[in-house]
Amino acid sequence: MSHEHDHGHDFPPMSSVKRWFITTNHKDVGILYLVTSIFVLLMGGVFALLMRVELFSPGLDFLSTAGAYNQAVSAHGLLMVFWFISPFATGFANYIVPLQIGADDLAFPRLNAMSYWAYLFSIVLFMISFFQGGTFAGGWTMYAPLNVPTYMPNVGGTTVVLALIMFVAAVTMGSVNFLTTFYRMRAPGLRMRDLPMFSMSWFLTVWMMLLAFAALLAALMILGAQHLLPVNYFNVDGGSLLWTHLFWFFGHPEVYIVFFPALGVMGEVFQTFTGRRLVGRKWFVLAMVLVALQSFIVWMHHMFLTGINLEIKTLFMVTTIGISLPFDLMVFSLIYTMIKGRIRFTTPFLFCLGALILFILGGITGVFLGAVVLDYEFRGTYWVVAHFHYVMFAGGTALVGGIYYWFPKMTGRMYDEFLGKLHFAIYFVGFNLLYFPMFSAWETPRRVFQYDTGMAFWHKVATVGAFMLGMSFLIMAYNLFKSMVDGEEAGDNPWEYASTAEWAVPSPPPLENFPGVPDYRGGSLSFRDESELRGETAADGGTATDGGTPAAETSAATGATASGGALATAEQALATQAVESEPDHADHASYWPVVVCFAGFVAFLGLSGIRTGDTLYYGLTATGGVLSAVGFVGMAQESFYVPEPEFAEKWPFEGVENMKLGMWFFLASDIVLFGGFIGSYLFLRVANGWEHWHHAFIPEAHVVMPGLINTYLLLGSSFAVVLALVAAEKNSSRGIVASLVATFLLGVGFLVNKGLEWQHLFHIHSEAFPNGWNLGTNIASSTFYLTTGLHGAHVVVGLIMLLYMVPRALFGAYTGEDQDSLEYFGLYWHFVDIVWLFLFPLFYIL
Amino acid sequence: MVVPLGGVAADILLAGIGGIRAPAEVFQQIFLVFLGLGTLVGTVVITYTLYNAYKYRYREEVDPAPDKDHPQMGELPKGGGKGKKLFLSFGLSAVIVLSLVGWTYGALVMVEEGPSAQTEGEFDSMDVDVTGYQFGWRFEYPNGHVEDSSAGGKLYVPADTVINVSVTSDDVFHNFGIPELRVKSDAIPGQTNDVWFVTEETGTYQAACYELCGQGHSYMDAEVVVMEESEFQDWYESTNGTEADATNTTEASA
Repeated sequence: MSHEHDHGHDFPPMSSVKRWFITTNHKDVGILYLVTSIFVLLMGGVFALLMRVELFSPGLDFLSTAGAYNQAVSAHGLLMVFWFISPFATGFANYIVPLQIGADDLAFPRLNAMSYWAYLFSIVLFMISFFQGGTFAGGWTMYAPLNVPTYMPNVGGTTVVLALIMFVAAVTMGSVNFLTTFYRMRAPGLRMRDLPMFSMSWFLTVWMMLLAFAALLAALMILGAQHLLPVNYFNVDGGSLLWTHLFWFFGHPEVYIVFFPALGVMGEVFQTFTGRRLVGRKWFVLAMVLVALQSFIVWMHHMFLTGINLEIKTLFMVTTIGISLPFDLMVFSLIYTMIKGRIRFTTPFLFCLGALILFILGGITGVFLGAVVLDYEFRGTYWVVAHFHYVMFAGGTALVGGIYYWFPKMTGRMYDEFLGKLHFAIYFVGFNLLYFPMFSAWETPRRVFQYDTGMAFWHKVATVGAFMLGMSFLIMAYNLFKSMVDGEEAGDNPWEYASTAEWAVPSPPPLENFPGVPDYRGGSLSFRDESELRGETAADGGTATDGGTPAAETSAATGATASGGALATAEQALATQAVESEPDHADHASYWPVVVCFAGFVAFLGLSGIRTGDTLYYGLTATGGVLSAVGFVGMAQESFYVPEPEFAEKWPFEGVENMKLGMWFFLASDIVLFGGFIGSYLFLRVANGWEHWHHAFIPEAHVVMPGLINTYLLLGSSFAVVLALVAAEKNSSRGIVASLVATFLLGVGFLVNKGLEWQHLFHIHSEAFPNGWNLGTNIASSTFYLTTGLHGAHVVVGLIMLLYMVPRALFGAYTGEDQDSLEYFGLYWHFVDIVWLFLFPLFYIL
Repeated sequence: MVVPLGGVAADILLAGIGGIRAPAEVFQQIFLVFLGLGTLVGTVVITYTLYNAYKYRYREEVDPAPDKDHPQMGELPKGGGKGKKLFLSFGLSAVIVLSLVGWTYGALVMVEEGPSAQTEGEFDSMDVDVTGYQFGWRFEYPNGHVEDSSAGGKLYVPADTVINVSVTSDDVFHNFGIPELRVKSDAIPGQTNDVWFVTEETGTYQAACYELCGQGHSYMDAEVVVMEESEFQDWYESTNGTEADATNTTEASA
């Protein structure tokens, strides 16, 4: 079933376990994501079934002791929303998107493997939390202050926060990777607007992921800090509301992050199985773009009862209704696509048509929630639960359709069509039996197991439906396993009217995907010979594609940039190897991603219990920390050849090579992260009284001078980095070393100065602050130390990178052609300095 | 007479007093209109969808659009045309949705502004402070009397009186709701949210917590007892022996 060539290095076959631990190939990573997320679906589903058993009658005693129900409902939500549905879509995206856009792999294959392993280990962390005094039991929405240790003292609560942070790191790595790939690795002739529907939807999804998850990371880091350090954020006046803002600012884009890939699958499947092109495709795409943008301005509709004023409520009511309109268009587009079609009711189509119907129902009930006066009553009831399951699980339904659609491509075999239809029938009936009665029983409060007996009948029906829905998956499991073994051979394309590139290659595709360079410039897909293309561009005198001239690109000349690794918190360590004689083929395997992520897992596990003072936890943290350092260095040192495609559409980033573009995207998410911290500070300061904050919460001893000195130190260090780049231009190794050392020393000076300042503040004994101004003295101290501390951590990361770079510079690295890594470091360092230019006035002057 | 949780006693709530529409009545009316329209739209759209799915099912011998070409392998994605029809449907649904929500805006303003904006006449009102805690509710009256649900206390209120509830929390984020009376408010520590309600009918209703707040969340109920005004006055006086009047009579504010 596999078609790899032996590339001269030992890339194990698919049957080998080792292969799965070291692979970086996008198709393998896609399968890893799919299989793992289905396991999570099972876990989350079991929790749901446990809940439904308890809810079968009011006052049953099945799951009602020791907070078990609360743990089940929280675990169900967290697992499904975070660890199941987006990773499931990510699995498809990994496998299919490069094929659809004509790329050999993602831009950063090792980063891709890392994002998977971070995902996997974050699940393991989550599972361990159950055994640490119980898992997080505050709902997937994790409202404050229930989410702080005062009200959730079990270590498991902390572990879940850390697991989520690890998960966000995985998502951020993935989105940076995909965005770079989308912009820089499309086949010639494939403009952005020509992206097939699934790729288009995934493109918008990863944009939303990049920005929304950074906001969640801010919330989680503050919450994590509150779990691990004596800070006070979410338990002070305004803290509760702050959490809802941070969480829902992320939470609303999140639901579209969940739904968009499903929409993309529906677009593909409707087109293929109706034999008609998507009606109004241009407007469909525009509608998706609008939703992606609007998703960031509707979040307060989750907060209508929090006491916000009428003007704001009205604004968000308008934006919420506004966001439902593009969906109307998309729904109609799908319906009209069926007209004059030749519809084949295959399993994928049944699931996608079913998904459309479920989504229509869910969408209509969403309009109810958008009318504020109605929302006042629906708040916290099963109306909301029914609504979001209809829309989100409709997305899940379409993704199940995706399994059946792409199963032949991934395995080379057809599934059993009858069993597929049987699965759909039981699934659809079960789904509606489960969720429709929730509308009848809508007055049941959420997350309770004691409810009014008048609603017992509906809950009984729902429980029956739940088991039907769950059991239907057994049919799918049997079908797919059996078909993998003795299903009919599928061939390249078992689906009439399928038109996207993944169906033009064998099933499953060979390691290198295509028998040549995919080229759309002739109006449709053809596979071109590389040498022919090179000849073409030379003959044309240089411009064959929009994406600049391949012959003139330095990346083609040097051929290779070895990819660097990344920290669990989405920093990127930079490295270039001296360019050696180029191997012919890209690398596909590295064991560093799994090592680094395992180390991160150990470190986070250690952190989770640090509060208890247990030496085991300290040991784990230290071990994990050391092992990650080893892992990162190893990854940076590793020779991993990733050729940038010679012939590709790169608009609008023609002149920006992949690593730099990746760095820009990463920095964009870092901006949102700091935005979350700064926004929190501003919000809390306004909530507590802007001037009052200054007079009552901040000691006299907190003066401007240390901040001013630090500003000069950082500006100086940025200048030093510029000098290093100048020296690199001039091929002056000594100049580079000197400048980098100066940067390092100035950075150290910054930290030392900060350390002195903090020590001084910790030990003041004024009337207002007899015990010093510590981390947790008041909200002003917490916001100050945490925000400037986050910045300080960024400085530390920069210094660690410098520790790696200076010795290499001593041996002649970064001169001449090799400057790229220096430039990326410079970007990061300048970013860190610019952030300080915002923090300094906010925390020292105003 | 205990009205069970979730048993919407719509009839007895559908009226305010003296020209004031209770939020409950507003909700009921709007909900029914939405329900009717939503069911209609849903039925129409889904029927239309299924009809077309059936009509254009694949038949070997019939090609409904022989002159139109089908998607070809490797083609650059393009649309299937007919964008104009899309805009018609989209426009229609937009009009429906926008008018529906626009209509509710008036009701929203009315609920937000409170009863004094609704009527020129006089009406009685009473203030009650509600504080949620893990895991019960505390009701505090103007004379200082406190009813605590953990100690069997209840929220006693007079009928035909606007009740102004100020809701907050002692500890974590709760939500105080009396479904049959259509009252609901987040109970957030460190801040107070105000809601109001009014009812003509006496009876006992259930209040519950609508935001997950810890292990006792499921059990965080309280009873709300609506009494005749005179009966309520008697009870109120008995709480601390004074003759202090709990209710105020509000002059109309224009």
